[in-house]
Amino acid sequence: MSKTSQAIAEREVALVDLVDRLLGGGVVIAGEITLAVADVDLVHVSLRALVSSVEKARPQEP
Amino acid sequence: MIELLAITDDPVAPPPPLRLVPAGPVAVVVGPAPEGEVDAEALWDRESLLEDLVDERALLPIRYGTRVEDDAAAAAAVVPRGAELAAALERVRGAVEVSVRAITPEGEEAGDVGAVHARLSGLAREHARHDGPEPLRAAYLVDRAGVDVFVAAVRELQQEHRGLSILCTGPWPPYSFAEPR
Amino acid sequence: MKDKVLAAPLNGDLDAFERKIPHLSNALSRRIDADPESVQQGLAQLVLTIVELLRQLMERQALRRIDGGGLTDEQVENLGRTFMELDRAMEELRDHFGLEPEDLNLDLGPLGRLL
Repeated sequence: MSKTSQAIAEREVALVDLVDRLLGGGVVIAGEITLAVADVDLVHVSLRALVSSVEKARPQEP
Repeated sequence: MIELLAITDDPVAPPPPLRLVPAGPVAVVVGPAPEGEVDAEALWDRESLLEDLVDERALLPIRYGTRVEDDAAAAAAVVPRGAELAAALERVRGAVEVSVRAITPEGEEAGDVGAVHARLSGLAREHARHDGPEPLRAAYLVDRAGVDVFVAAVRELQQEHRGLSILCTGPWPPYSFAEPR
Repeated sequence: MKDKVLAAPLNGDLDAFERKIPHLSNALSRRIDADPESVQQGLAQLVLTIVELLRQLMERQALRRIDGGGLTDEQVENLGRTFMELDRAMEELRDHFGLEPEDLNLDLGPLGRLL
């Protein structure tokens, strides 16, 4: 892999670690927290993940 | 609206546009609330500000997106928790957070993430293991002066455990150790 | 910009550590007035819309394969059964979230309806 694409990949995985921390870490102070609203853009899942999430979400048979 | 960025007990003013709002035994680092689109660059810029601050003082990052009306509201929100936040600052003083994620690549036998976590915990003041897609996803609170040794240990562990793929990032401000226990 | 990676896997392969982060702007800066339940409802609607879209695409593809020949009777039967199952699963899920089929047909403005 070229130096540049490696650098980009490193930046991307570091962004994953950063966003996890921003959204899940830190002191929670009462304030107006802005949150995510899912959007049509939210289509970055693999087909397999979607199918398995359909399976998991199915109401369980008694 | 202002954004609450971090808690600190250092009275030295941060660089503009950040300001310090006193709140009992601690102070809140605040800045103008960002408007409009947020992209990766904006997040890195914000992170950069925090990291510059944490280089010089003990600091607890505040959850992203915390906004209040004004300075008075900021103080009012923080003062009730002043004592426990001051104690949390003591716990993290002089330390940074290091992130470790480890997976077993396809085709490999399940790697011993327990051993990795045990070894690394031994090199940290505190550790926090999180649920996540990876078999090991953890944060370690490491003395600033101990980060090189920690990273060297990660590299050794990577050599020892060929069946694991280990990613270590940092140093980060102590996001995972900011909430008082 | 500071480099945050302190140690990377030996083969340099970072793919497994990546995750697609939904459009950051939406994830981090949009404010909601809605209560948690309607947020969950909105999310369910979106996920199911995507699933429905994919189901239709897959079905169309399967039909093309069947028409084109080259599949055994057993394969054709399996495909048919799978799609019936998927259809039923979708219906159950819609019921579970109180959604009608029309609810899954998003209006994309100038691009028209999704389905």
